[in-house]
Amino acid sequence: MTVLFSIFSFLYQTGDAFAFLVLSACGLAIIFGMMGVINLAHGEFIMCGAYVCAAAARAGLPLPIAILAGALAAGFAGMVIERIIIRPLYDRPLDTIVATWGVSMVVTQGTLILLGSTMPGTGTPFGSFTVGPYSYSVYRVVLMVAALGTLGLLWVGFTKTRFGVLARATIQVPHIAQALGVNTGLVYSLTFGLGAALAGLAGGLYAPTMTLVPTMGSAFVVEAFVTVVVGGADIFLGTAPAALVLGAVKASLTSWQGQLAGQIGLLVAVIIVIRILPRGISGWILRERT
Amino acid sequence: MQGTNSLMKTLGLLQGPQTLGKGKPFWSAFTLVVALACAYPLFADGYDVGNNVYFFNWAFMALGLSLIWGYGGTLSFGQTAFFGVAGYTYGVISINFGDAYGLTIFALVASVAAAALLAAALGYFLFFGRISGVFLGIVTLSVTLVLERFMAQTAGPEWRVGAARLNGYNGMGGMPSLTIPWFGSDIVLFPDVQLYYFTLALLIACYLGLRILVNSRFGNVLVAIRENPQRAEMLGYDIRVYQLVTFIIGSALAGLSGVLYTSWGNYITPASMGMTAAALPIVWVAVGGRSDLTTTLIGAMLVLAGFQALTIHGSQYALVVMGALLVLTVLIAPRGLVFGLGTLVAGLVNRKPKRQGE
Amino acid sequence: MAILETRALNKWFGGLHVTGGVDFALQRGEIHCLIGPNGAGKSTLFRLILGEHLPTSGQILYEGNDITKAKSFERIRRGISVKFQVPGIFKALSVRQNLQIALQHHCPPAELDGEIDRLLEFLKLTEARHQLAGNLSHGQKQWLEIGMAVGLKPRLLLLDEPTAGMTPDETAATGEMVQALNRDGVTVLAVEHDMAFVRQIAHKVTVLHFGKIFAQGTINEIVADERVAAIYLGDATHA
Repeated sequence: MTVLFSIFSFLYQTGDAFAFLVLSACGLAIIFGMMGVINLAHGEFIMCGAYVCAAAARAGLPLPIAILAGALAAGFAGMVIERIIIRPLYDRPLDTIVATWGVSMVVTQGTLILLGSTMPGTGTPFGSFTVGPYSYSVYRVVLMVAALGTLGLLWVGFTKTRFGVLARATIQVPHIAQALGVNTGLVYSLTFGLGAALAGLAGGLYAPTMTLVPTMGSAFVVEAFVTVVVGGADIFLGTAPAALVLGAVKASLTSWQGQLAGQIGLLVAVIIVIRILPRGISGWILRERT
Repeated sequence: MQGTNSLMKTLGLLQGPQTLGKGKPFWSAFTLVVALACAYPLFADGYDVGNNVYFFNWAFMALGLSLIWGYGGTLSFGQTAFFGVAGYTYGVISINFGDAYGLTIFALVASVAAAALLAAALGYFLFFGRISGVFLGIVTLSVTLVLERFMAQTAGPEWRVGAARLNGYNGMGGMPSLTIPWFGSDIVLFPDVQLYYFTLALLIACYLGLRILVNSRFGNVLVAIRENPQRAEMLGYDIRVYQLVTFIIGSALAGLSGVLYTSWGNYITPASMGMTAAALPIVWVAVGGRSDLTTTLIGAMLVLAGFQALTIHGSQYALVVMGALLVLTVLIAPRGLVFGLGTLVAGLVNRKPKRQGE
Repeated sequence: MAILETRALNKWFGGLHVTGGVDFALQRGEIHCLIGPNGAGKSTLFRLILGEHLPTSGQILYEGNDITKAKSFERIRRGISVKFQVPGIFKALSVRQNLQIALQHHCPPAELDGEIDRLLEFLKLTEARHQLAGNLSHGQKQWLEIGMAVGLKPRLLLLDEPTAGMTPDETAATGEMVQALNRDGVTVLAVEHDMAFVRQIAHKVTVLHFGKIFAQGTINEIVADERVAAIYLGDATHA
């Protein structure tokens, strides 16, 4: 019986880490896949989603609506920033990355100035349940379901809609959108908006579980970065499997040595993995297809 | 005879295709600036002079980043990792061994070596794994962020190395300042005139040394790799080795900054490796013009001065201004604001005496 | 004696079999042209020889030594040199610096300047030596890259469509350059589409088709081969 309890505990930890990695990373991965750009303001979109969600929830909106409001607000902010700052830099991806870092600095400090050093949160709903000697948060399970649901919705979006098909084509063969004569401006704007909205969704979903501070985004970005580095650009062939593998790694290290060992171990694992698989998991799955 | 000859050859590399500024006008201006910098303590009181060493402390990290990013084309977003590692190492060594017998100088060397060693280990995995530009940037950034988190949770009394408490988020303090053993009595480099001259001399040496490096054969290959890595490899160069060596040198310079900063303020915190700290060197170097050492240096000094002026007046907007400056530089002058001005001036100066410099 | 030999060289990309057991020998001192329809595997064969891709199976021998797993730069140091199809030059650096980077690795420092000047002369780029390489005309860029490749003093020179985008005059001049190098003892393997150029320089021609060696012989034999004409015709109708 104890073994079963331990197994359940490990599965729960892995699922929790998996959900966190998927939700943190998918917005980053979509923007990276479509535009070849790492959005260093990713953490700030997450923070935006969390803040809006918390504000909406405290204003009396039900939590799911508040979370969606957070995602929408972040998505809208993303499209505005794409329009003003990213668009002039289309052919300079490396400069775009640096520019998004500038955005990140402005937003973090701006939030601190306007809203102060913390923002009241909403408290975690649903309480907890126990399996054997351990107690588990119900909301964490909700987050796992949300992560799977997000992946499912993205799958539908990417296979059933025109935008999605185009997006997948662009991820696999960069610049194909231009070759097909598509309005790249619109596609990129939607991509950036979608990526930002997914970041906002992550922020909204995790808002009830953490302290809301202007720098909260940086709690997510390391995990998001390493997942994208290992997974490569393709959400379904890369990000999700990477999140699963890394989730297991993180869960075992965390249960062995604690939270921080999980994070450090994750990074070390990633640095070793890239020595062996420089093109990430999806590059390895799609091995030498180009 | 042979010796002087090769020395002259080496000094000849002080100017070359990879550095802005050559001939009489540039070196006259350089001498003037150095003279002014040397004369500055004569006109100011020791306290201000010591405070202003602060600017020089960061310049090494900026120069190192210029080498890695500007010349080598490698995006390293986590130079602060090496800054922090060296700073903490200096603290641990100097707290444990004290400042007698020039041991702080040993601590300085050992700390820079620690930073270089970390860079060598990390760089080996990255460059020999053939990590492409963007990924390299985010992996290095992740490293510095994880180090920050690690140091931030070392508040407990169990986190100590010998006599040195790491002290978690509040940071480590109480380490002795750099001390030069001297006949009679040691020279302690408190933030005062002595430290100013020490740091200035170190800065000039690093600046000139890097000029020689980037104009040497090594520098030729380095910029070639930045321009076209495939071609460079197909000329028989093992580009991984060049990138790795560059990364180590640049990171050692970041480490030097870390030691000087820690010794200067007798203090270092995990925040020195955080997201904001990591962003600032990017701003200095990008605004100045990363692909040239001189513009990087000027840019870093100007941005730091501006930042300092804003913070001193209590403005919270300093970081907002830094971020906006970075965005604007990328949008308006991607090669750097100072660099743009510099090439303009160089163009004007060189126009008159045509075909003078071959 | 063969300077370069491939034995049963196979390369799969995912499900695509790009070179199918290529046994190919390049004799020392010859100018050998590799032709074939698009997608015949010419570029892949080049990349395998250069080490940019590693073969799925098979062997590559250079001067009798197995270099199948050697890194690209190691192959270059052994005396192989390449000129890419899209001019691979350092655009933001001056012409002179481009050559210096190519030469400095093996040339004694005292002779470097003289050697660069000699090469500039040979490439007809003396006038342009202080220009940025990115500002050269297309033909000049091609020559500069040939110069960089030649500057390594290779024993085997690989040329990937050296005349792509050149005017007929430039093409002819390039042909003379290649022949002059060959007289100095450089073995040349060139991928080329321009049949006039092939006729000008080739001692021997190999036709690749679907990743396999389809025909081999002198240019006259190849031109007379009806099967070769058929695959090119087939290619033309597909395109």
